[in-house]
Amino acid sequence: MSKYFFSILLLVSFSISAQQTGGEQLQPADTTAAVVPTWVDKYGLRIGADLNTLSRSVYDDGFRGIEVVADYRLSKRFYAAAEAGNIKYTVDDYMVNFTANGSYIKVGFDYNAYDNWLNEENMVFVGMRYGFSSFNQNLNSYKIYQNSAIGTDGATPTSTPLPNYFDQVTVQTDRKYSGLSAHWIEFVGGAKVEIINNLFLGLNVHINVLVTQKKPQGFDNLYIPGFNRTYDGSFGAGFNYTLSYFIPLYKKQGQPAVKK
Amino acid sequence: MKRLIASVGLLLFIALYLWSCEKDDICTSDTPTTPSLLINFYNKDNAEAPKTVTGFKYFVEGDPKIITIDGSVSSIRVPLKVDATSTKWGFILSTTTNNVTRTNTDFLEFRYTTQQTYVSRACGYKTTFLLDESVGSNRNPTLSNGTTPTDETYWINSYSVERDSVDIENIERPNVKIFF
Repeated sequence: MSKYFFSILLLVSFSISAQQTGGEQLQPADTTAAVVPTWVDKYGLRIGADLNTLSRSVYDDGFRGIEVVADYRLSKRFYAAAEAGNIKYTVDDYMVNFTANGSYIKVGFDYNAYDNWLNEENMVFVGMRYGFSSFNQNLNSYKIYQNSAIGTDGATPTSTPLPNYFDQVTVQTDRKYSGLSAHWIEFVGGAKVEIINNLFLGLNVHINVLVTQKKPQGFDNLYIPGFNRTYDGSFGAGFNYTLSYFIPLYKKQGQPAVKK
Repeated sequence: MKRLIASVGLLLFIALYLWSCEKDDICTSDTPTTPSLLINFYNKDNAEAPKTVTGFKYFVEGDPKIITIDGSVSSIRVPLKVDATSTKWGFILSTTTNNVTRTNTDFLEFRYTTQQTYVSRACGYKTTFLLDESVGSNRNPTLSNGTTPTDETYWINSYSVERDSVDIENIERPNVKIFF
């Protein structure tokens, strides 16, 4: 489902860049025209939701979450951007089963590097966020790793260990770790495409780097709401499909400078 | 524009790399997990001289699985039950005299307290053990005899606890010394 979405968005963004190249080839003809077209840049607030979080709440039984996204245009290329959400996710790993539950907010900016065709408002952007998450965890069960296989040399098992002597022990528990938090920096890249008037479909990928976190005693932050799964202790990654609505507040307009 | 595509592509690449290679999903063998007891064998007439056992077998009382050691060794690793506070192991010594092989089974029951510690996503938790202290004549571990008629004698002459904490895998100092 999500992969399907992904490829459609990629296709859309490719067709846009194809259009743009076509536009550039036509430009010499435009400069000779008597009437110079007027550009209009719309400024305003764009508010939407992350479809990835929403759809996952439907198809993934252990996941329930919502994420609201917003950005506000500051200048021709810069947008202030923020995401806020709440996630409850039960992670069923082989050795541990736990539920992370909490809220998060990410604040930062997007830089639109895309040169729009006249009066279009599409974006191909890179950006950064500062992320903060406040959450708790409930450890539901865990397994004890015991290599009770005895090698034929009697010491530690090496090449041909026998099967474990004891069966693996699973401990059912209900241990709650509250008051956990995490701070991180996020690098974002993606695209936003106006599909119909003022309605935007977006896709972005983000890489997260943990700055600091409050870990539970006797356990770890293996999943942080907003940050996602932690890799090697301090890295994370995620992606968003956003559907957002642009509320125009004011316009800036002018005539394009004619290049000589 | 090219630089932008490159940077978005790089982000995507790193993200895919993180999603695909979940190397912290494998519990590597050099990670300290639940340790086993280390038992060393010594000569009863010379407490400093290690003694080897050949074709040694051991099993948990009531468990049909028997661990057999190929060849001769002077130390063995003995796992303890992580979901109990005692484990009773039977140690079978085989001796061959004049082409007649005799076996003798002695039991040692180890009593202990357990502690569970988080290790990692891939290794889960580990259990470490602390052997109970011997109180008066109630020694820990407790030696008892096998049930078959040939087991009227003990092959274990004496034993001593050298290290009561079973907490680090592969440490060379034995937990228990058996003299025979």
